[in-house]
Amino acid sequence: MNTFTRTHPAALLIAGLLALAGTGAQANGGTLKIQVNGMVCAFCAQGIEKRLTKMPETGPLYINLAQKVVAVEPKAGRRIDVDKVRAEITDAGYDVVKVETVAQTVAAIRAEMKARK
Amino acid sequence: MNVATEQIRPRRRRAQARLAAALAPVLGLLAILPAAPAWALPMASQGSVMVMAERSADERELAANFALTARDALGAAVGRWREPMGHGAAMREHEREYTALTYTRLVRRWNMPHAQANLWFVGMLGEVRAHALPGARTLWSPALLADYETTRVYFGAGIEPMRARGLRHDSVVARAGFSFYQAEYDEMQPWLIVQAKRTRWGMDAKSELTPLLRVIHRRFFVELGGNDNGAQVNLMLSY
Repeated sequence: MNTFTRTHPAALLIAGLLALAGTGAQANGGTLKIQVNGMVCAFCAQGIEKRLTKMPETGPLYINLAQKVVAVEPKAGRRIDVDKVRAEITDAGYDVVKVETVAQTVAAIRAEMKARK
Repeated sequence: MNVATEQIRPRRRRAQARLAAALAPVLGLLAILPAAPAWALPMASQGSVMVMAERSADERELAANFALTARDALGAAVGRWREPMGHGAAMREHEREYTALTYTRLVRRWNMPHAQANLWFVGMLGEVRAHALPGARTLWSPALLADYETTRVYFGAGIEPMRARGLRHDSVVARAGFSFYQAEYDEMQPWLIVQAKRTRWGMDAKSELTPLLRVIHRRFFVELGGNDNGAQVNLMLSY
């Protein structure tokens, strides 16, 4: 932190926002990357997709059965409520093990997981 | 199996003709649709509709249910089964046709890191009509199903007794199979499933071993197979 940002909090705030601007999803509130137990079959897991895509704040969604991951990105300018997503997945009949907020977009997560195969 | 023509009195023949005329549209639908047994996933997620159709040499069923909650679904089923009676030259095949309301309950689910197991109850209450038996009889069935699966392996088993006064149709089924490869969520995934089924009607019983090719793609689930008794097709669609 330099003298300018130390003495000008607004500048610090702007600098912080600019730093975040290039990270896509995180500027909107972050992509949720959720580890889910019990998700072994597409026919069964489509209930998760159905419930999450119905939420008004959710954008792109990715489900990876092998890695047991659901990734959901917020729509532009929106933020996803973690507790709400957790409840939707639980109500769909699955167990949420871990929820992370990541800077990656769903497309980036999809590409990363495909590259791991 | 020799099938002999049954001696039916004229009054019953007319009643059966009226029944056949009333059921013709439904039976026509059953004739072209494959049937889905309750042995596969018997209900979809809350707020979804599941349509199931099953057809084998001796059984046909068309069913649908709506998931009121994550664990409860209400629905209806219409079906038919054929059972042999007698032996040798006196062997006859009798058909039973039923309509019923169904209730499906997810009794217990175990979500594991790499697997899921379920215990299901499927109850049925309706009526059954049968050749050589007057009128309709109350049909009831409490079925219990269990399954365990990973992304590559599947095991399932179930007991489905169907009873009415003077009628009995009990099935015990075990299934096991594997997926040919790991598939992405939005990819088609083929499986090889082997089904062992024992069916009992009254004092008679039959055992069948049926290999099935199962293909799953998102909301679409189909199984095709056959044994020396004939072909078997199961279909499920979820909305």
